Amino acid sequence: MAESGQQVACAMQTFERLHPTEFQRRFLAQNTRHDGREFMQFRPVQVVKGAISTAQGSATVRVGNTTVVCGIKAEVCEPDVKRPTEGYLATNVELSPMCSAQFRAGAPSEEAQVASEHVHRLAGQMFDLTSLCIESGRAVWSLAADIVCIKHDGGILDAAVVALVAALEDLRLPKAELDLGTGMVSADRTMATHVGVGKRLFPATFALVDDAYVVADADDSEERMATASLLVVHDDRGRLVNVWKRGGGMLSSETIARCVQRARERMTEIAQTL
Amino acid sequence: MASNVFDRRRINGPQRSVEPLYTAKAAEPFANGRLDGRALDQVRPIFIKTGPLDAQSPSASAPSGSAYYEQGKIRVSCAIYGPRQGRQSNARMGSFDCDFKYAPFSCSWRLSHIKSSDEKEIALMLEHAIGPAIRLEAYPKASIDAFVTVIESDGKAATIAAAINCISAALADAGIELYDSVAACSMSMYGTQWVSDCSQAEENASTCSLLVSRMPSVDEITYLLQHGKTTPEMTTQAIQACSNDCTRVYAVICRYLQATLE
Repeated sequence: MAESGQQVACAMQTFERLHPTEFQRRFLAQNTRHDGREFMQFRPVQVVKGAISTAQGSATVRVGNTTVVCGIKAEVCEPDVKRPTEGYLATNVELSPMCSAQFRAGAPSEEAQVASEHVHRLAGQMFDLTSLCIESGRAVWSLAADIVCIKHDGGILDAAVVALVAALEDLRLPKAELDLGTGMVSADRTMATHVGVGKRLFPATFALVDDAYVVADADDSEERMATASLLVVHDDRGRLVNVWKRGGGMLSSETIARCVQRARERMTEIAQTL
Repeated sequence: MASNVFDRRRINGPQRSVEPLYTAKAAEPFANGRLDGRALDQVRPIFIKTGPLDAQSPSASAPSGSAYYEQGKIRVSCAIYGPRQGRQSNARMGSFDCDFKYAPFSCSWRLSHIKSSDEKEIALMLEHAIGPAIRLEAYPKASIDAFVTVIESDGKAATIAAAINCISAALADAGIELYDSVAACSMSMYGTQWVSDCSQAEENASTCSLLVSRMPSVDEITYLLQHGKTTPEMTTQAIQACSNDCTRVYAVICRYLQATLE
């Protein structure tokens, strides 16, 4: 009995490897997904804040198997003359060849560039850059938030945004003072304070798989056969911050409304772990 | 100090930014013993986990083996891809390639995104240290690739040693045929005293460092690097001591790998 069970499992793995699309379709036709989730069910989120001592703020986030680490390094610089009280926050998403065989070493892939750009735009929405001011017109903090993907299994934007929020919440900047004579900034590590995010962001991604099924939080194998994806971002008061639909697949406005509703429910799931 | 090279494919910060001057003095290493209270020949506690990045279901994009390695504050993650089709179709031996990357936030200073020559050098060191342990003749026409990312580092030589240990465990997890697992350990000299497995603060205060990677069960050194000024006698003595440390690290790796089989 056990032997035949093993044979079935082996045949299933072979089938999945050879016909990945057909394999997924068999599940979707039965109103379920290959990992046992329902269509509108998200994967669990785990957040660990502040594990990295070399960064001023850090967080590790897991969404299902997808794992990302966000670390923030703080340095000082002169502000832009047009915005003398605003600091800098540069966010980059790094999809290394370690996390999945689909990425190559060297320059960032298109997917990584798009993710960086989008996360950066969202970061501008939630973070108040004037909180990085040390001395108006003279010195501000410049933050480099790097989101490194350790394992890629779909939903990278969701994980990246949650990691950025968590890392910014964990961020502690030392008390800094500008010496007006020398123009140098001295900082006291023992007097570090939290900066705090203006508002938290809660992302949720949906995918249109095989042009027919709308699923929440698609994993890598589902993303490969997705024809459209929809990112919905809410802030902590439940207001819509960002809706982004990509891909050629058609989503009706009712479907989008349903996804936005489901994304609001996802908010509480993420908020509990933060 | 970060040199901000303008890069169109990334989000750039300001042109020039510097670390502030930290007023609080760092504690003087070796003023009275080691900063973390270890004995001079004591290696930091090790944690290994194999297979954190492995696929749950068959997938072409997931690695064939992986490992996560901690040694004190050092955190290293490694994925092995392959044996997969190599570049040379008529090679009698397989090829082994390493890619080494520090996460931009992994050091006490900020690193550039662009791969530095330092990282390329370390990648080559890893290839040389691990290569002799792999039965490459068993994988003709194939290539085996190891990708290493340092999430947090604490001492350069110790981080390289940790990367070697991490790749060893990941190769075993990937089921690659090996002559032996490679274990590595580092030492630094402070005054006339060799100190095992130094942290960044200790390394900064030292005058000389040594890295040994070794296959203990066949008693062969695969890689050895010494930086700084010592005498031949001191170096010989240190190689012996470092080899003993390697054997201890090896025991930890092997005990873990055996436990995963049970």
